[in-house]
Amino acid sequence: MVRLLTHNLLACHVKGCTSNNFPLQFQNAQIELREADFNTDFLKNFLPKLEWKALVDSAKDLGDTSLPLEQPEMLDDEFLKNLHHVLLEIHVEEGSMTCPNCKHSYPISNGIPNMLLAEHEIG
Amino acid sequence: MAPRSVTSATISEDPLAYEDKHVHAVYEQIAPHFSSTRYKPWPVIAAFLSNIPPGWVGLDSGTGNGKYLPLPAENPRRVWTVGLDHSLNLLKIARNAGGGYREVVRGNVLDQPWRKASFDYAISIATIHHLATYERRKQAIQVGHSNLNDIVLITSIQRLLQAVSPSHGRILIYVWAVEQDDLSRRQIPVVDDPHAVGQSGKDVFVPWVLSSGADSEKLQAEQVFNRYYHMFAKGELEQLVSEAAKELGLHVGLKSESAGARRGIDFQQDGWERSNHYVELRCWAV
Repeated sequence: MVRLLTHNLLACHVKGCTSNNFPLQFQNAQIELREADFNTDFLKNFLPKLEWKALVDSAKDLGDTSLPLEQPEMLDDEFLKNLHHVLLEIHVEEGSMTCPNCKHSYPISNGIPNMLLAEHEIG
Repeated sequence: MAPRSVTSATISEDPLAYEDKHVHAVYEQIAPHFSSTRYKPWPVIAAFLSNIPPGWVGLDSGTGNGKYLPLPAENPRRVWTVGLDHSLNLLKIARNAGGGYREVVRGNVLDQPWRKASFDYAISIATIHHLATYERRKQAIQVGHSNLNDIVLITSIQRLLQAVSPSHGRILIYVWAVEQDDLSRRQIPVVDDPHAVGQSGKDVFVPWVLSSGADSEKLQAEQVFNRYYHMFAKGELEQLVSEAAKELGLHVGLKSESAGARRGIDFQQDGWERSNHYVELRCWAV
């Protein structure tokens, strides 16, 4: 599946494409919402490692504007609930992800992103 | 069922094309049957995942049917493991491994489709022994590489080292051993490997027998798929890991004995379990 949890880790790896290659931009994304088990420990400890702006912008691209532009200092229940939903309950099933730098497009089919490159594209 | 003997392999083509034919294409065909036989997590791997702190995100490089993605079983939502594999048919199984929704990505374990150091841990279970090496080994000699160990295996280990946090990353690697236990049904050929140099293992084919037709009659159709493996000799994995780390400028050894090095790895444990060699590494930074 591609949820925003995974999307926040993915970057373009085309040969020579080493800057401005993150975050990949969703195109024609078809999404499914599925409930996931809530775990506060996971969210609180994962939060500092997220690329926050990428998460907020990508969530917006998928139609979710529940996250603040800056990470809040107080992690209240409502914030954690929204973060949980954005990271783990929005599944991108079909579409593609485009590199902001080189415009390479990585297809997503049946919820599986394809990050394989042709041999000449590999860095 | 026909005896499953292992035959020795000579890699005479381009290694990428070779892996496509003898690893990737085979797994696409045997995926459902293969998956039905791979459901039990090995204890050392389960323990490794149980000890991961909450909020950590990991990479399962060569996830196959994703059997490690739902772990740790006792607290499954405390960490997230993302599965990477080349086989689309295996990923279609992995994305629902253990009955839930898992995160899976199609890609090559020699590539790096991630932000650098974005993971906290990585596991590579029964994967890098599939990387075709002979041609790379030859290339290594041609470019005057001082050591005949395989560039491609070193690259795959470096991808793991680069994927995890330099200050706290943990890595567990399992590879198939030349030393097989008695429980294994596989027979290892005793031919000398002409390409084996020093502490090298063996390049072999391991057949997968796929039966179609459920009857016990003689007419049962059997298809045999040969998968390429590099079987590791004792000590070979540790040696490759050390070399991979040193090439990245990492000290190999304890932080307390690093003599001023700023980054390094130490071997947390190594061993042999059920016909496999394994190592667990921890990254450290000053």
